[in-house]
Amino acid sequence: MRNLILAMAAICSVFLSAYVHSDELVVYSGRSDKFVKPVVKAFTEKTGIKVVLHSAKSTALVNKLRVEKERTQADLFLSNDAGNLQVGSDLGLFQPVSTRVAEVIPENLRADDNSWIGLSARARVLVVNTNAKGLEFVGSVFDLADPRLKNRLAITNSTNGSFIAGTTVYMEKLGKEKTVDWLKGIKKNAGDGVFNKHSKVVKAVASGKKDVGLVNHYYIYRHLAKHPDAPIRIMIPDQGKDGIGVAWNVAGIAISKYTDQKLLAEKFVEFLVSEEGQKLFAEVNQEYPVREGVAASAEIPALSQQKIADVPMSELGKKRNVTIDLLEEVGMY
Amino acid sequence: MIVLIAIIPLLFVLYNSAQLSIEQWRGLWSQRLPQLLWNTFSLAVLVAGGCFLLGVSSAWLIARRQFTGRTLAIWLMVLPLAIPTYVFAHIYTSLLENDGWLGRIWLYFSNGDTVPELSNVWGVALILSLAGFSYVFLLVRSALMRSNQSLEEVARLQGKSSKGVFFRVTLPLLRPAIAASLALVVLHVLSDFGAVSMLRYQTFTLSIYLQMSGRFDYQAAAGLSLILVLMSISFLILERFFRNRQRYYSSCQSRLVQAKQASRSELLMIWLCLGLISLFSFILPLLWMIVWSWDAWFQGVVDSVFWGYVWNSMVIAFIAATVAVIMSLPVGLYHARKQTLLSHTFLQLSSVGFVLPGPVIALGVMVFALAQLPFLYGSLALLILAIVIRFLPLAIQAQEAAMQQITPSVEQAGRILGAGYWESLWRVILPMIRGGMITAWVLVFIDTLKELPATLLLRPVGFDTLPVRIWIESSEEMLELAAPAALMLVVATFPALWVLMRSEMKKTEI
Repeated sequence: MRNLILAMAAICSVFLSAYVHSDELVVYSGRSDKFVKPVVKAFTEKTGIKVVLHSAKSTALVNKLRVEKERTQADLFLSNDAGNLQVGSDLGLFQPVSTRVAEVIPENLRADDNSWIGLSARARVLVVNTNAKGLEFVGSVFDLADPRLKNRLAITNSTNGSFIAGTTVYMEKLGKEKTVDWLKGIKKNAGDGVFNKHSKVVKAVASGKKDVGLVNHYYIYRHLAKHPDAPIRIMIPDQGKDGIGVAWNVAGIAISKYTDQKLLAEKFVEFLVSEEGQKLFAEVNQEYPVREGVAASAEIPALSQQKIADVPMSELGKKRNVTIDLLEEVGMY
Repeated sequence: MIVLIAIIPLLFVLYNSAQLSIEQWRGLWSQRLPQLLWNTFSLAVLVAGGCFLLGVSSAWLIARRQFTGRTLAIWLMVLPLAIPTYVFAHIYTSLLENDGWLGRIWLYFSNGDTVPELSNVWGVALILSLAGFSYVFLLVRSALMRSNQSLEEVARLQGKSSKGVFFRVTLPLLRPAIAASLALVVLHVLSDFGAVSMLRYQTFTLSIYLQMSGRFDYQAAAGLSLILVLMSISFLILERFFRNRQRYYSSCQSRLVQAKQASRSELLMIWLCLGLISLFSFILPLLWMIVWSWDAWFQGVVDSVFWGYVWNSMVIAFIAATVAVIMSLPVGLYHARKQTLLSHTFLQLSSVGFVLPGPVIALGVMVFALAQLPFLYGSLALLILAIVIRFLPLAIQAQEAAMQQITPSVEQAGRILGAGYWESLWRVILPMIRGGMITAWVLVFIDTLKELPATLLLRPVGFDTLPVRIWIESSEEMLELAAPAALMLVVATFPALWVLMRSEMKKTEI
């Protein structure tokens, strides 16, 4: 038996060595590989620096960073949700990006201390079936709680990161009480229209099973790309003089506090906020570039026509647990 | 030593849950537990029932009737093992969409009634039963083949009808096999992470995962895990208690059952029954994978990087299976020989890996390694350690049936003839349990190929496996990108299953 253990130890030692070379950048990525690879490829071609993507859910990666602390191999953390980035910041997992690199991004789309910066933005919009009748009264997200929409609403379940982030924005603008009432209302209206994926919300609306759904804007265009004749349209809620503005969330990036390649890491961030990087990063997923002056894809509604809720993205992380408490209080899981 | 390694995650759970205040326990108790208990319990019962029905019936048909295509039938019953639960969930969700294959058929026959949703207890139970009944089939079939014909004949001579024989003799004799396999199934249900998280059905495991990753609340997660562990262990003890009251020694002189030749009408019935089972548990999912992989092939998704994932998966599974089988030997043998309280305790403790949810095991191993073995961190060895902890109980369980058949007298004979401890282990015991060891190896190999939560957390940076890819692609709703990976997973399982089946067949021919 002892021999066996020795043999095992020998086998193990072969696999002890870590997998990554020291001159490569390791990015913990919570964003789909498909949307990251084009920009990584361009970066590597330009600078010769190799980038290794380690993909998983954003929340799982923040957890990993938190447990790993100084043992982490990650140089950067990329996430689709500002909430997760801010949580990481609050846990002290990141280090600030230099002001020179960060300042091309609007202030409300990055952390107060630049420990993370936003890269692309998505709007929380309504998808509406063009054949549906009697929806004239819907102009705000809060109209979704109107009893007239009973059984006509489709939403994702509330463990979805975008759902949580959106709810945080509404709570910031209108307070807890109103948000709780709203959650109760949409829970009632959704009935069996609670899906585990955004694409299913859009599908349900496109098929006429439901009349209106709450989604991130790019899911609508993803569906339209596959089914150009689908009877759906986008509706940007809460516009107009008295509207609170449409809720935004950003995908962003942070540099690990424990990286030993800060210079290289910053180079990568710099590329991502450059005009070329911005266009590549946002366009593959029909998102809005956050650097001013970089045009969004022509298919999605222009930014100039939108009023955006003025909630700093960092709040999405700071208030995250408060929102989850609210959701549980209402009995939404 | 091995037991110590196996309980690392348990220590992690105990440590973290010890930090929960009474207040927080009460909060957990009142808010979440009743619902979670009910969800988990009802799911386990339904899946056990489903697997029992599918597994025992198919095993009996195949073991007791000789018919055309029997070998093919055996294969079809075992192949669902190659498909992970999350792939099942994924495939059935897309099949049941309004424009999916099954969805369209449903709409056609039900006059536009809405297609049933899978995100409820029935849907999840269906998925897990389809994915799990093969365990029951395997163990029950091999027990049926080994069972002693004389016993049944005696019952017939005493005037029992064939139905009576089945319920009074065959079924009770099958009890150890059924109990062991259902235990396996239930443990899979309790620790399943893939299917429940894809279908968003709140069981303990999913809730623990959400607590951990959504709220960064390790303590509540640990508290829930502790309850889950206590539940599963008491279930295991119960199962063992019932099993231990009867011990069956098979004697060498027993005549094995001869399978009857099936008549024509029986043949039709058998194939109708087995065909229906395998249509849903294997053929349909396989077709789906092939069709979508076909698309993916032309999109150029299948490139050298993809083959790298395949290679990674195979390497991990091979090493983990080998290590797990070697490590399970001492624990299993000790128990088979001694049957003492201590050996029971060891056995229960090493089953921790099975009852704790995968994400918790992974996190426990990770925290432990970072604190105690930092040089291991980020290496393949650590991932293998976590996987071995997870599947050690599977290896033990699979060998146990074989080990229980080591009649003490055989070993004693060896010792009397002058064999030392090691020699008797090498020349008497190992050959006798070889079948069990192969089964154990293959089962661990297959489960490792499909393993998701531990691999997600502990894989070395830049080291992706097929399940990880499936997970990533399908969580981003890129269904078609997940298909080739799923298909390769099935293909990679083939050789392992072939080894398993060959040794099974050999055993039953003698």
